[in-house]
Amino acid sequence: MVQLASGRPASGRLHSVRPARSWVTTVARLVLGGVLIVAGALKIGAPALSVEAVRAYQLLPDPLVKIVGYGLPALEIIVGVLLVIGLLTRPAAVIAGVLMIAFVVGISSVWARGLRIDCGCFGGAGTLGQGEDPHYFRELLRDFGLVLCASWIVMRPPGRFAMDSALGLAGTREPYLPGDVEGDDEG
Amino acid sequence: MSKRTREASAKARIAAQREALRKQEQRRRMTMVVTVAVIAVVAIAVGWWSIAQSASEKVTGNLAPISIQEDGSVVMAQRGVTAPVVDVYEDFQCPACKQFEETSGSTLKNLAAEGKAKVVYHVITIFTDEPTKSNSLRAASAARCLTEGSQWMAFHDKIYQGQPSETAVGFTADQLVKWGHEAGAGATGFDSCVRGEKNVAAHQEYSSKIMSALKLAGTPTIMLDGQSLEDTAFVPSALREAVLNAAK
Repeated sequence: MVQLASGRPASGRLHSVRPARSWVTTVARLVLGGVLIVAGALKIGAPALSVEAVRAYQLLPDPLVKIVGYGLPALEIIVGVLLVIGLLTRPAAVIAGVLMIAFVVGISSVWARGLRIDCGCFGGAGTLGQGEDPHYFRELLRDFGLVLCASWIVMRPPGRFAMDSALGLAGTREPYLPGDVEGDDEG
Repeated sequence: MSKRTREASAKARIAAQREALRKQEQRRRMTMVVTVAVIAVVAIAVGWWSIAQSASEKVTGNLAPISIQEDGSVVMAQRGVTAPVVDVYEDFQCPACKQFEETSGSTLKNLAAEGKAKVVYHVITIFTDEPTKSNSLRAASAARCLTEGSQWMAFHDKIYQGQPSETAVGFTADQLVKWGHEAGAGATGFDSCVRGEKNVAAHQEYSSKIMSALKLAGTPTIMLDGQSLEDTAFVPSALREAVLNAAK
């Protein structure tokens, strides 16, 4: 009974906050996943260019450049799809967050070294034409925003419309909320 | 209800709950395993597709006849084939040109050999900083020391294999002479031509003429009948299809 008394107001508060928060997670998933899918899809058709874009950063040794160049577009698409459908939401968001942090580091380093390249984020070979200027600040701002999206999702997965919930992969906390407490209190 | 039966039923209920929890956890684990397995299969399929659709061709059989033009450009085509024309604007020092050569160079050789296209190579220098500018000029000048088309092509391929990094001095006279000999250049005139960088002026003149006339955005630029192919050039299957379509 004590449980009930103290449980009610708490669950009442949760009810007003939790749906809004889980919708924020859903929106973050769609934004982050959408960007990843687009970025991957624009690159995967021409992996040779993707390799070239990675090389333009002059950060990785040659064998690694090839692996990242070929692998990154596929990884982006798969993680993006997982986020959009909300499957294995937390691990997917962790990978996406690590990717975004890597991009932030890469672009910052290029900027600091005074290289003039196109980030190659959405396809292209990472080269700038004559008279084109790099947009490092804009790219950093965008990727930083996406890092925030990823952290939110990691903290509050999986959000509304998630396969994780449908498949029962969402974790064990939610099914045992108020209903169970009341059911057990008959005696 | 006696106390005992109440206790018994409570125990039974707890046992049933535990069993239900256990089952649920088991189901969860099973779903997780299946999900991860499905994702792994999809990932492998996507990776395989990506590599397969972008695979480079192998050069099959002999190359089409190659001839060096007076302005230094090089034509590779079967006799009588005049269209479609694939123009390759490249800089020996540019990493993307090396990537293009590795990815699609064999496709162009095959298309020319099949009589499906006339391929024209234009070697230019886009770099304005050191050491890249001098590297590029030395290599391009050395290529102009060759007089035989087939030797030029062999030299061209060796140059890309030996491309230095953009931050290092490379394409040294010794390297260029050695690659030239491996490509079949035997004349003593070749060595002095390379070491004396005798064709730098002619190359620079040609290069700046091309750059100002075409307003190239960068190298490599691959043009099919005067239209830049952009990213298509880096996907061998797409490049082949574009050239074959232009031939229709």
